[in-house]
Amino acid sequence: MRDRPRTRTAAEQLDEPAAEARNLAMKLGLDPYDVNYWVVDYDEMNELIAYNGFQERYPHWRWGMQYDRQQKQGQYTGGKAFEIVINDDPSHAFLQESNALADQKAVITHVEAHSDFFANNEWYGMFAEDLDAAAMLERHARRIESYMTDPEIDREAVERWIDSVLCLEDNIDQHQPFKRQFERADDEEFEDDELAERLDEMDLSEEVKRQVFDEEWVKAQSEDADLDEPEMDVLAFLRDHGKAFDGETGKAVEMEEWQREILEMLRAESYYFAAQKLTKVMNEGWAAYWESMMMGEETFAGDDEFLSYADHQARVLNSPGLNPYKLGKELWEYIENTENRREVCRKLLRVEGITWRNFHDTVDFDRVQELLAPDPALDRITPETLADLRDLPAEKIDEAALDRAAAGDLDVAEYPWKVLDYEGLAERHFSLCKPQNRGFLRSVSQQDLEQFARYLLDDARYDSIEAAIAAVDYAAGWDKLREIRESHNDVTFLDGYLTQEFVTDNEYFTYEFSQTTGDYRVASTDYEDVKKKLMLQFTNFGKPTIAVYDGNYNNRNELLLGHHYNGVMLDVEQAKRTLERVFDLWGRPVNLKTIVKEIDDRDAEIARRRDREPEPEEQGKLLRYDGEQFTMEDLPWSEVEEIAATEVDYDTKPEEWLA
Amino acid sequence: MGLREDLERYREVGEAKREDLAEFIQYGDLGQSLPDEIQIPIKIVDLPEFAYDQLDQGGVGQGEPDVGDPVGQPQPQPGDDGEEGDEPGEEGGEHDYYEMDPEEFAEELDDELGLDLEPKGKEVIEEKEGDFTDMTRTGPDSTLDFERMFKEGLKRKLAMDFDPDYVREALKIEGWGPDRAFEWAREESITVSRHWLDEQYGALSAEERTTWASLEEMEANTPRRSAAQKIREEGIRHVPFRKEDERYRYPEIVEEREKNVVVVNIRDVSGSMREKKRELVERTFTPLDWYLTGKYDNAEFVYIAHDADAWEVERDDFFGIRSGGGTKISSAYELAAAILDERYPWAEWNRYVFAAGDSENSRNDTSENVIPMMEEIPANLHAYVETQPDGKAINATHAEEVDEHFGDSDEVAVSYVNSPEDVTDAIYEILSTEAES
Repeated sequence: MRDRPRTRTAAEQLDEPAAEARNLAMKLGLDPYDVNYWVVDYDEMNELIAYNGFQERYPHWRWGMQYDRQQKQGQYTGGKAFEIVINDDPSHAFLQESNALADQKAVITHVEAHSDFFANNEWYGMFAEDLDAAAMLERHARRIESYMTDPEIDREAVERWIDSVLCLEDNIDQHQPFKRQFERADDEEFEDDELAERLDEMDLSEEVKRQVFDEEWVKAQSEDADLDEPEMDVLAFLRDHGKAFDGETGKAVEMEEWQREILEMLRAESYYFAAQKLTKVMNEGWAAYWESMMMGEETFAGDDEFLSYADHQARVLNSPGLNPYKLGKELWEYIENTENRREVCRKLLRVEGITWRNFHDTVDFDRVQELLAPDPALDRITPETLADLRDLPAEKIDEAALDRAAAGDLDVAEYPWKVLDYEGLAERHFSLCKPQNRGFLRSVSQQDLEQFARYLLDDARYDSIEAAIAAVDYAAGWDKLREIRESHNDVTFLDGYLTQEFVTDNEYFTYEFSQTTGDYRVASTDYEDVKKKLMLQFTNFGKPTIAVYDGNYNNRNELLLGHHYNGVMLDVEQAKRTLERVFDLWGRPVNLKTIVKEIDDRDAEIARRRDREPEPEEQGKLLRYDGEQFTMEDLPWSEVEEIAATEVDYDTKPEEWLA
Repeated sequence: MGLREDLERYREVGEAKREDLAEFIQYGDLGQSLPDEIQIPIKIVDLPEFAYDQLDQGGVGQGEPDVGDPVGQPQPQPGDDGEEGDEPGEEGGEHDYYEMDPEEFAEELDDELGLDLEPKGKEVIEEKEGDFTDMTRTGPDSTLDFERMFKEGLKRKLAMDFDPDYVREALKIEGWGPDRAFEWAREESITVSRHWLDEQYGALSAEERTTWASLEEMEANTPRRSAAQKIREEGIRHVPFRKEDERYRYPEIVEEREKNVVVVNIRDVSGSMREKKRELVERTFTPLDWYLTGKYDNAEFVYIAHDADAWEVERDDFFGIRSGGGTKISSAYELAAAILDERYPWAEWNRYVFAAGDSENSRNDTSENVIPMMEEIPANLHAYVETQPDGKAINATHAEEVDEHFGDSDEVAVSYVNSPEDVTDAIYEILSTEAES
């Protein structure tokens, strides 16, 4: 970053908030990477956003498009861009110098939570062991730039090639750790015979190699791309077996070195960004949750800054549509509540005389609520109440900090949390004691209670609810949250934790397009349906799954792709345009097997008259593009059986809609 | 390289992606535009990818509606933007529009359809002073065309000037004197005075007077500069201005005729005009309105709705009205004639009368009333647009009758719009009919 006096001033002002936010995050149980904060001006911020957060990207018009949009939006939103944080170790975060201090603090707390997520979520770990994303992207930028300026290579051809590869950027196998088989260092010879390399690794004697794996064999192996099972990493398959198309001769030719290399570089970038796409709901929700904890609950924003912060938060969370920040935050809060409720219920079920059957009749919930309330000494910390904290269990307070506070070396009024430890903070912020969650404990279902009770052997441990509540582990919720953030991605997160209670409380619903009325209609409020629809949006980046089925289709070296049909059809027009691009990377005719829904005109008319939905016919199709034109032919069901999902159906239309 | 260049490349790519105008007229969302600002959607510049069919995908929303309630437009879903690092609250960048004013629209449509409609000037709104391009020999000093005077002076100077060094050498030829030199100068068209030669000769010493043995010797040894060369080398010391070169600029008198146009849009709103027909009318009329707005200095619109009776409406209501009654097309022409007479005299206004409907009319109304009126109402162009998306009804003969009667007239156009594809042809048909005249 350029060094400018104004930037430095802004940065100095943020040194303390940044350091303290980190301390607070650690106290709350987070374990973020170190974060380097950069203060940039409005234009630089827009540039960074255009480049997806990085300072160097390869030349491409899409960054220009993003920049253009960003600028136009800036005109409407008053130019407040809030944060950019880069998954890297250490992480990098960019703050906009013109933002108010309250906004900066909010951003910093948000960033610390993201950084914790980067450091601890295992899907982020899949990309690479030593992460230096910025360096990788910069290297790619240099490399592609050099191809573009190479007088031997047509710049337009490079651009078109990049476009074609980008059309398939989501067609990687994002659930597999990224293996970069193919990056070349500048000074190394380009090794394009991967198989030969693998043979070398097998450490066979020269003689065996000569006899068994003669060059012809090796060549033959790499040429027919036999697949035991469909290959999800379409880009890798094209890299290994694809060809370029020479428009002049009308023939497929071997890819140029630059073509293959660019393909691999863009594939690597796809894997890098995949982690972010895989955990968008979780990660954004996580950051929003902890930001709100630190800024709101722990008043990291000063009183005067709080209003401006609340405004920011409201704007972020209340934007229209399904908002991953909001969904994520709500789900994290819900998980925290359910985990805390389980903890409290399990303790209560061990009180003599309380069983899952009589729970609701026996338990005095108001009394429980009183007992659960955090110790007043924890709840309100002022210089005068410090002495009261000394009576609390040792794991709740930070003795050393308490001593410094008593000596006046620590400003308790500004940073009350400093004198507490994790356990103390957990009690101070116990979710079930918050006004909005007052009814949550009481609303536990019989079914849940029965389940909790099933594994309780020692069911008469406490003789009173007082004793039971005193034993409650206030950190149960937070412990659980951190456990989940380690191993889940959006799909497993939503699949595992979305319940009817959540869907009802937060008023989620699904909608479907009605052929009869010609608009979208609310279809279901059932959590299984909501979950299905959400999964559809988050599985495989919300895109249909496409895999390579054959690299020598019909023995004519044609490419066969298959669309894993899950009840929702492809956008066929767009698929055609994409196939044109696939042709560029395959060099020979390309095919796509898919299943479409067709509605018979007569059925549609009958349904319309009855005010019902017509039942579409599922029909297998083979779409083929030979470089000049498309053909689309019907396939018998037996031909598409392998690509049709059997049990999953993402359609949530109610039965009674159907004709 | 860098973001600036990326932005330029994007602009180049984006420019090429503006929705084709014909396609926009046929299928585009015309409703986004205002009468004086036409918004053409930019084709999505984003690269294609394998994606779900949007209608089939459905979605998830938040709120309190009941099953079966319409949810309006699909709410933005994550993944729609597909970009990492997106902030919420940033929606709205999804549809980009290219803005055109009606002038540009008219130009582009001319290009696209190969039209060439020259609007006619009508009412003389004023005689005003045009540019100061006329000249007179007298006038106030401030209008003196000094540039012209200078040029004339310079020309004169060039013609009169001579190279004194060279002429002086002629006096040095043995046996020559001012007389002989003067004679020579006249032959050479050097405008030197006798007086000057005498003066110079007097100043020469006896020795100098015999420097050259002959004219040939002198010419061979003396460089001669043309007047232009001399001016270039020595600059102009004096340009002779003459009274006769003075010219005073005078403004031209220009007759300004304003290109006024009034467009009467007539639409059948009777029961038989269902949604599809209505939409086709809107698709045909709206671009015509834009086009004429762009072509003329001043465009006004009259909207007439009719069933068996006709009444004038506002533009905002025009395409939405639906009534129950029968159809009598002549009622609309009667009203149009009255409005045109009263507000838009033919001497001052270009007039276009466009009517549209499904060709159904009451018995004999077309031949007995409408056709005579179309002949009577003076206009640049009368047009009838028939919309019959579901095939023709037997008694719907209005368009045919009109077509038959007027034949290839260049004052009446009839066109048939049965689907959005036909819209551009109809527009071409209508506009080229007048352009031929």
